[in-house]
Amino acid sequence: MENILEGISLALNFNALAGILLGIVLGQILGSIPGLTAAMAVALLVPFSFYFDPWVGIPMMLAMFKGSLFGSSIPAILLRTPGTPAAAATVIDGNPLARQGKGGKAMHTVLFASVFGDSFSDIVLIFGAGALAAVAIRFGPSEYAILVFFALLSLISLHRGSSWKGIVSITAGVLLACVGLDPITGTPRLTFGNAELFDGIGLIPMLIGFLAISEVFRQLEQPVRRLGERTMKFSSRPEDNRLSGKERRALLPTLLRSSAIGTITGALPGLGSTVAAFIAYNEARRTAARPEEFGKGSLHGIAAPEAANNAVGGSNLIPLLAFGIPGDVAAALILGALLIQGITPGPIAFRDNPAPIYAIFVAMLLANLVNYLVGLGFIPLAKKMVSVPKRLLFPAVLVLASAGAYAMRGSLFDVQLMFVFGLVGWIMAKYKFPSVLLLIGFILTPIFERSIRQTLILVEAADGWLAFVASRPVLMILLGALAILAVVVIRQRLKMNRYKLPQEPADSS
Amino acid sequence: MMSSPARWTRGRVLHRTFAIPIVAAALLVAACAEHTGSDEYPSRPVTIIVPYAPGGGGDTFTRAIAAQAANILGVKIFVENRTGGGGTIGVGSVARAAADGYTLAFISTSPVVMAPNFLDVPYDPVQDLTYLARYVVSVHPVLVGGGSPFESFSALLEFGRANPGRLRWSSAGINGAPHVATLAAFRQEGVDATFVPMQGSSEVLAGLLGGTIDMGVISDFSGALAAGDVRVLAEIGPEPIAELPSVPTYEQLGYPLAPTIFFGLAGPAELPDDVVARWDEVIRTVTASAAFSDIAGRLNGKVAYLGHEEFERHVLGDISAAREALRSLDEGE
Repeated sequence: MENILEGISLALNFNALAGILLGIVLGQILGSIPGLTAAMAVALLVPFSFYFDPWVGIPMMLAMFKGSLFGSSIPAILLRTPGTPAAAATVIDGNPLARQGKGGKAMHTVLFASVFGDSFSDIVLIFGAGALAAVAIRFGPSEYAILVFFALLSLISLHRGSSWKGIVSITAGVLLACVGLDPITGTPRLTFGNAELFDGIGLIPMLIGFLAISEVFRQLEQPVRRLGERTMKFSSRPEDNRLSGKERRALLPTLLRSSAIGTITGALPGLGSTVAAFIAYNEARRTAARPEEFGKGSLHGIAAPEAANNAVGGSNLIPLLAFGIPGDVAAALILGALLIQGITPGPIAFRDNPAPIYAIFVAMLLANLVNYLVGLGFIPLAKKMVSVPKRLLFPAVLVLASAGAYAMRGSLFDVQLMFVFGLVGWIMAKYKFPSVLLLIGFILTPIFERSIRQTLILVEAADGWLAFVASRPVLMILLGALAILAVVVIRQRLKMNRYKLPQEPADSS
Repeated sequence: MMSSPARWTRGRVLHRTFAIPIVAAALLVAACAEHTGSDEYPSRPVTIIVPYAPGGGGDTFTRAIAAQAANILGVKIFVENRTGGGGTIGVGSVARAAADGYTLAFISTSPVVMAPNFLDVPYDPVQDLTYLARYVVSVHPVLVGGGSPFESFSALLEFGRANPGRLRWSSAGINGAPHVATLAAFRQEGVDATFVPMQGSSEVLAGLLGGTIDMGVISDFSGALAAGDVRVLAEIGPEPIAELPSVPTYEQLGYPLAPTIFFGLAGPAELPDDVVARWDEVIRTVTASAAFSDIAGRLNGKVAYLGHEEFERHVLGDISAAREALRSLDEGE
């Protein structure tokens, strides 16, 4: 208790608050620029965190990540170009709502959902880290393989159009993900001898290409006189520019479910916020009272991915603080900063010197509040920015996106890739191929391939596969759940067929 | 042909909107081309290419070096991350850069000693680089989980010999120095173990703690060691771990490859002598500072300055040892 109070007092000093404010503002700005990520900025800050107190430097970095997740949804809604991959799912409903003039409402929904997801997972981190970490550490390659397989199966249903176009898209995503060094043997695969491709195709140039550049190409098609128009129009009715208390309450079940999905995803190292956002979106639609609204500007469709991707941020620290295992880039950078501060994450840190860690917890909750307040100020600013004519805005997007693709690895090759994917994305959109499925295939394939091939190696090192399954309790539970689910789905299908059967003789007679 | 007044106005507006970025770009180019007249090295900013993503150990060390070196040299030092090809793209771009001392590279064991044996890299590590100085080495121990039945490295080897294919192990990165050195050690000991390829040390640590693998060779383990979640059985490098002097090293055990995992600075081949001497001196001064050893201690690195000549000899020795070990591994198959 004493430690907690000391932590609170450490977190409440002027420097810490200034650090949080600066982090949130920077994060929101960087996040809203396609291609620039908070991770880049934080990485540059890590060596300098040596000169800060831990309760100043680390909350500032965490605040940047929190701010950037909100910031990246703003261009997703207003320009159809997510600022970071995590906001890719927000485009699906956020942009249609903004096109109805309700961009203000969409942005307020994102802000509310982001802060909700953040706070939810921060509280889970503070009170339940130990228990969740103990379960999460039991997830090895075989468990990941099943989880990702499951995610792939359910996310395919995001696409509602022609099934062969869906299959083509997802296959293309899977194939693109195979480029690079083979994850098991380390030999180059589909690289055509180009060393730039050894590390595979970068997610950032691909995503900016598909989502930002293809949008620029789409705008090029418009008649010249339309390029003088304002990029986005906003309704002047106040109820289209805010989120009412009633709407907030109606969103609660979606927010809770999505935050839980994000928190669990974050506690498992390696899955990431983009995956969490898509799963939460899909779950929200599956359980919605009016699923037909999804894709046309549903508030649930905006809130679900945003709550989930922010929730990943807090729970990513669970394996970090419990075992010193960073779950993603953000957590790895925080780990570096903690080490520089002389704090080695793990149970020992809680035992020996817990005050700085409690101070960081308090600062995280404070950062959520600051994120909300700064976000409220950012929304009208964002509206002004997209009120400029398209002919000025889209060239700026093009320049910033190119800079972002370059900055990721300092590689011009990535800029070229970005333009190629922009062209491909534009053609795909023209012929109604779902680029979302391509992205999902691309994001999930590496972890699926690696975990399934690792599993095969591990099974070989055990006394046959039965002994392998028996040695892993979590795997048995997951396999059981998968079997039950399969039975339920098949029975549903059989029932549906039975209802249809009587009609067929009637038709033929 | 007369244009209407409206069109004319529109043309003016367009003209002005384009003029501003063009002037801005011109100023930017002018700023980049800025030169000072002095002859003494360095007279303009130096760029250090880090071939890895920002935030990693090597990146953090290099930025710490750069900050202090900038004070000593009196010029700006830009640290640029150029990732790709497991570090080989960034190193390759420096190998092809002008040999004037204004473009240098952070290098570590993997892209110089190991990668050229497996990949078609855009440089020859023996001929295309000047090795300036080493600043840090990191320990890379053989770890087992806290509840592991193996109390010593020999007990682990014993199990591996008696149960072919049952000992599951991993290291951060396929074909990295820890992987190859341990393969060669197992070969010499007659151990047939199963290597489970994993991505990065965090996955290996999670595998150790979750019981997916029996043994891991990684350098980021301090938190887990302090908590008793892992135990150290051996060290792959030539030097014993200072805090654990009783832990055997691969060199003591007489294995074919006992690589030093080092962080250092290199430039293109044929750097002028004054550049080499200047950087050797800078690195020696920085690594002797209290601030640097403080950072090194916290990041689990050991300050291990090595001057140009000795560093070059060490690296070339490691390169030929790795080639030799790989050749005998290939012949055994």
